[in-house]
Amino acid sequence: MDLDALILSRLQFAFTIAFHIIFPSFTIGLASYLAVLEGLWLVTKRDAFRTLYLFWVKIFAISFGMGVVSGVVLSYQLGTNWSTFSAVAAPVIGPLLAFEVLAAFFLEASFLGVMLFGWKKVGPGLHLTATVLVALGTLMSAFWIISANSWMQHPTGFTQLPDGTLRAVDWMQVIFSPTFPERFAHMVMAAYLTTALVVGAASAWRLLRRGREDESCLALRMAIGMFAIVAPLQLFVGDLSGKDVERLQPAKLAAIEAFWETRTEQPFHVVAWPDRAAEKNLFALSIPKMGSFISAGSTQAEVKGLKAFAPSDRPPVFIVFWAFRIMVGLGVLMIGLGAWGAWLMWRTTGPETSRWFLRAAVAMGPAGFVAVICGWIVAEVGRQPYVIYGVLRTADAVSPVGAGQVSASLLGFMIVYAVIFTIGVLYILRLIAQGPERIAEAPHDPNRPPGAAMAAAPREAGQ
Amino acid sequence: MRDIIERPPEAGAPLPPLWKRLAWFAGLSLSGALSCAAIAYGLRLLLR
Repeated sequence: MDLDALILSRLQFAFTIAFHIIFPSFTIGLASYLAVLEGLWLVTKRDAFRTLYLFWVKIFAISFGMGVVSGVVLSYQLGTNWSTFSAVAAPVIGPLLAFEVLAAFFLEASFLGVMLFGWKKVGPGLHLTATVLVALGTLMSAFWIISANSWMQHPTGFTQLPDGTLRAVDWMQVIFSPTFPERFAHMVMAAYLTTALVVGAASAWRLLRRGREDESCLALRMAIGMFAIVAPLQLFVGDLSGKDVERLQPAKLAAIEAFWETRTEQPFHVVAWPDRAAEKNLFALSIPKMGSFISAGSTQAEVKGLKAFAPSDRPPVFIVFWAFRIMVGLGVLMIGLGAWGAWLMWRTTGPETSRWFLRAAVAMGPAGFVAVICGWIVAEVGRQPYVIYGVLRTADAVSPVGAGQVSASLLGFMIVYAVIFTIGVLYILRLIAQGPERIAEAPHDPNRPPGAAMAAAPREAGQ
Repeated sequence: MRDIIERPPEAGAPLPPLWKRLAWFAGLSLSGALSCAAIAYGLRLLLR
């Protein structure tokens, strides 16, 4: 492979966005979780909710900051590495990204200050309002980014001018392109699951090391509720999204499933070794007819194979095929973890007492991040060789820069990210390992019986 | 970090008057928006 500016620019964008997506996919879920915790604390007055809020808000603040810093890099790259894309598509896609910054990001940034520095100053009601607005801001941010990306996957509501640039003719069609609803739901649920997996893993870790404590039990059960309900829903929405791909991006679907021939009764390849040069799978473990059924809803449905497309119009097969299987495999494990946890809550003394379940929850902690990154690999690599599907090829979208310039900036990113993200992630892991810290607990005096009127009273020095 | 993030008011502690709480809410949110804008325009200036 010739490492030219195009490949290097793609590598650079993939590298920086893979780091970036870790943080928003965590903070979208965490912001909503914080709003739920604060709301439940206000309603129930149960201290465990407040303790959990104060614990996770620190991690939210750090993750939010790292998400912002890594996100700014991406917007700059649109100018430095993808200037032709920007020149052609900016009149359509620019406003969507601008709305993301002006509406969503400013909403988050404005009320984050109240959330972090204003609880005593504004009181509980206004503080909850700020937390809810930050949570809404993260969802709005996801809305605009997924809207822009969905348009790139299946562009609608635009026209191409003689000079090659694009203009929107129907903004509703641009914002709500056909694949947008399923993709937005899929991303938000992925973020919620990612957060629940981290919360579940942190709680399970505490329970394994410190024994039963109210906050960790509560957080673990909330996380199990999320796995049990959202993970199966995610599978359903993912299937809807897959049906969109079959209808609108058949070459991507053929790559996802490693279909080479166009036929009915396509087999479903559980595992395979697709070879692009040989135009076949060198090895495959398959279930007959299930490929057509899963992709198009009927075993008799004709599903296109990669050979139906010119070689220059085919996406890379191997990476898309395996990224999809890792994502789905992890999704199935999430469903299993939710079902196991729900069964333990329903039929036994609780998930807190099952050390095997707690170990499994810890092991699944990073699964959401891996699944999200794999999902984006399927979406973005599967769209190749186009950056705007059917309109603009990736090779035509790159900036007129040299390979030397791009490789220098790529190297710079790798070094800076290695330092900054290692420090940030290690700090977050250290905070998680410390666990929630109870506040305003009455000091226990062994000489005074618990519950006595004076039990919580401070003792004078020397008494 | 423990000292930077403000904790909730103690149970039963009297809250400041509503106008003061609203003023803090508006002030803090405006400060957040302005800080964000300052950084954004600062970064933009670097490109010129």
